[in-house]
Amino acid sequence: MADELELLRGADPAPPDGPHFGDGPLDHNAERRLEQLLRDPGNGLPARPGGRPGLLPGRLRDLLLPGPRRLRLAWGVVATGVVAALTLTLVLSGPSTPPAVAAPRPLVVETGSTPVSLRHMAERAAAVAETSDAPRLRKGTHVQSWSLGMSDDKPPITLPEERIVRWRADDSHTELVVATDPRHPGRPVLSDAGGEPHLVDDGHVLLDRTYPPSWSDAPPKSPPPRDPARLRVYLMEAQYTDTPLTTPELLDAMATLLDHWTLGARESAALARLLAGAEGLRPVGRVTDRLGRRGQAYVNDTGGVRRMLIMDPATGAVLGLESTLTAPEPAFGVEEGDVMSYSAWMR
Amino acid sequence: MSNDEIFAAAYREHYWAVTRYVARRLDGRAGDVEEVVAEVFTVAWRRRADLPAAALPWLYGVARNCLANAVRGHGRRRRLVDRLGNDDTAHGRHIAAGPDADTPGGWVHEALARLSAADQEVLRLTAWEQLGIDEVAVVLGCGNRAASMRLHRARRRLRAEIDRMRPGPPIAEHSCMTAPKEHGHG
Repeated sequence: MADELELLRGADPAPPDGPHFGDGPLDHNAERRLEQLLRDPGNGLPARPGGRPGLLPGRLRDLLLPGPRRLRLAWGVVATGVVAALTLTLVLSGPSTPPAVAAPRPLVVETGSTPVSLRHMAERAAAVAETSDAPRLRKGTHVQSWSLGMSDDKPPITLPEERIVRWRADDSHTELVVATDPRHPGRPVLSDAGGEPHLVDDGHVLLDRTYPPSWSDAPPKSPPPRDPARLRVYLMEAQYTDTPLTTPELLDAMATLLDHWTLGARESAALARLLAGAEGLRPVGRVTDRLGRRGQAYVNDTGGVRRMLIMDPATGAVLGLESTLTAPEPAFGVEEGDVMSYSAWMR
Repeated sequence: MSNDEIFAAAYREHYWAVTRYVARRLDGRAGDVEEVVAEVFTVAWRRRADLPAAALPWLYGVARNCLANAVRGHGRRRRLVDRLGNDDTAHGRHIAAGPDADTPGGWVHEALARLSAADQEVLRLTAWEQLGIDEVAVVLGCGNRAASMRLHRARRRLRAEIDRMRPGPPIAEHSCMTAPKEHGHG
């Protein structure tokens, strides 16, 4: 019989040849951190919790941006002079002054709107997938997001940003992140890039990087399957679990997927089919999201958090996901209805 | 090579080994692994002038200290998320589920958990990171003789726990480790 060290070796929770953390090329985040360290010969402070990037001297990348966003960015630069005085005032007045742009309100379901079942939405997505000019899968993402930032001694703040990740044919990719709040175009935006919450201009470039070629065959970096059953397994792997996903886990896994891939119609149809089978995800009616898009909303309440899924009624594609608190947490300075995070995905 | 180049080479060579080291010790909190590993290499970067030729045991030593800090300061947001119970890490399910109670891994983990933290660490370093005694000494910051003594005692105590949990014929006396070491450590 094996000795105690052999038994222990056999119980290694992270073996070198296991499904996670196995030897191989660095992944995207590891490459990014190494690059940050090498660029910062001083004290090396890139690795803030949550992995938010440091404030970098930015430059516009017109080629990377689609038309409307390019306008937004350019406008943001023009507006710099206009808002500079306001920004300076707010920054100098210290964190006790609540910035006007702090917290987004949760999305509101239109009263009297008719909820559409997820099954119906899945059928619509399947029909779109059959059309000849349906959108195709694209690696990378384009997302507007907020997240609740918390520290031990300051009130929570929200951090709006827009992220565009585009992959090239040689497996290199670019990432551009700008601070922007679509509800308040042109107004300063609260950011915690660089460590301390502070105001930056709308369109301020938080990150503009090009990464060398990299490759992975593990979810969520490998292409998502078009078959619902295989997509389910893919999402479990993306969540590092081998047990069936609960509905909140499914929604979180979906967000991970959409933060890496811009789905084509066939992948969207598979995802809609999975969502239609999720328990406790109920249709509530129509909403207009923060990008002004009409969508159908579906909510799940679990563990003090309400997740609201928003889908495009015309195509069955996922437009967004919002998490709000359903009970106050006074110890953490957050109240019922506060938005914890929000993502709105675009093509 | 400059210090920066040596650091970059060590980072590329040992990133995943350090990640596994951290993951093995953050059981059920896999969401924190990447964050702690980033901290390990940030600290290592600041101390890159001290990076020895055999970098991996030294990096494990840095990781050991970072993990102690991570366990102490779990962070306000993490507490909130845990309390809300909406995070995988709160359910301990972020890492692919470990061996269940019916598999050998389950009760071996349980036996290990009954030992002191110091015993656990020397055993993990030997069995999971597959370090030799001189390398264990580097990680623990002690001499070779002390490391050897700690391992000997920890093995004896682990064996006793395993025997206690699994009545039956006693397991074999320990033999020298012959398995290949973790790939890539220096």
